[in-house]
Amino acid sequence: MNKKGVIFGILVISIIAVIATSMSSSPNETFDVDMTRTHGSISTAMGSPILGDPLAPITIVEFGDYQCHQCYNWFHDTKPMITRDYIETGKANLVFVDFAFLGRDSPKAAQATYCADDQNMYWEYHNSLYTFQESKIDNGWASSERLKSFAFNLNLDMTLFDECLDSEKYSKRVQYNSQQARDNGVRGTPGFFIVGPDGQEQLGGAQPFSVFKRILDSMI
Amino acid sequence: MLAILKLIFSNFKFIALSLIIFSSMMIILLIISEFIFLEPYFVTHIPSGSELGFILITILSALSALVIPMNVFRITNLKNSKQKMSGSIFGSVMGSVAGACSCGPIGFAVISTFGSVGATATAFLTNYEIPIRIIAIIILVITYFTTIKSLKSECKINF
Repeated sequence: MNKKGVIFGILVISIIAVIATSMSSSPNETFDVDMTRTHGSISTAMGSPILGDPLAPITIVEFGDYQCHQCYNWFHDTKPMITRDYIETGKANLVFVDFAFLGRDSPKAAQATYCADDQNMYWEYHNSLYTFQESKIDNGWASSERLKSFAFNLNLDMTLFDECLDSEKYSKRVQYNSQQARDNGVRGTPGFFIVGPDGQEQLGGAQPFSVFKRILDSMI
Repeated sequence: MLAILKLIFSNFKFIALSLIIFSSMMIILLIISEFIFLEPYFVTHIPSGSELGFILITILSALSALVIPMNVFRITNLKNSKQKMSGSIFGSVMGSVAGACSCGPIGFAVISTFGSVGATATAFLTNYEIPIRIIAIIILVITYFTTIKSLKSECKINF
């Protein structure tokens, strides 16, 4: 009788342990997003946090891939001037939405930004990726190890970050964002939508500041 | 060498062909490589660090505009085999394709159509864009000199 009781006990404990393990490692973990957030025709609910004043009259939605060299060019050549003249002055804000299609490391890099966002460091991590991007796609610069080293350099909690990245917690989020790009007719990166009070304008490619200025000024 | 070039380009048809090849190749490659934007406004833009890519496109277009008409001249005037065009066409196409498949619409279309095979191919063409363009230019230069050499003998020009 005692033997049966011990076996039954072990069985129950094993079942509970299996259920607990499977629940804790489930990729369907929850995270806080405002599912109603849209900008023009685009659902930006799963995109980045808003950079700048959330109440700014104009929103620039950037679709990008962290391995895209033209995104790198835009980040370094055009974005600083937009930040200075429109985002920091409260005239516009910016949302980054992943369109991770270029290589096998692209989705992982996008997921890593949301792992950084868990620690309120989305934009710092985003900036790191575009600062340290190498020109070759899938050459290892955005491998899991390197993504973790970028997080380490930003003093993130590495236990939380590693757990998040290894579990692919944000895989579906990145897929959703890439689908938004396709649904809105984006055919390459970087792709932009400038959403103003009276409508939206689509821009393709790493266009210079003069083009953005012309559109943004016409919307203010 | 100059005498052969004068012989070919004394005919207006070959000057026109050369201009068409140069301008069309240059414009298409500059649009694909995002040095020119047509929408929403026409604008030209060379990002810092992309100067070498611009120079290689210019050299590639100029060499193609020189070498392809020379080979067309051989075929039409000297009734040579069309296979002798292969060097110039191959060099031009190879140089053009190198920069086409990056993160722009062509790269996206290739990846969307061919999946992981397309992604691998576009990654290769993007990663090695500059070396591929340099190889294409070398092929065109070699084709130029071999064409000059064979035209010399075929036209029996004495220097």
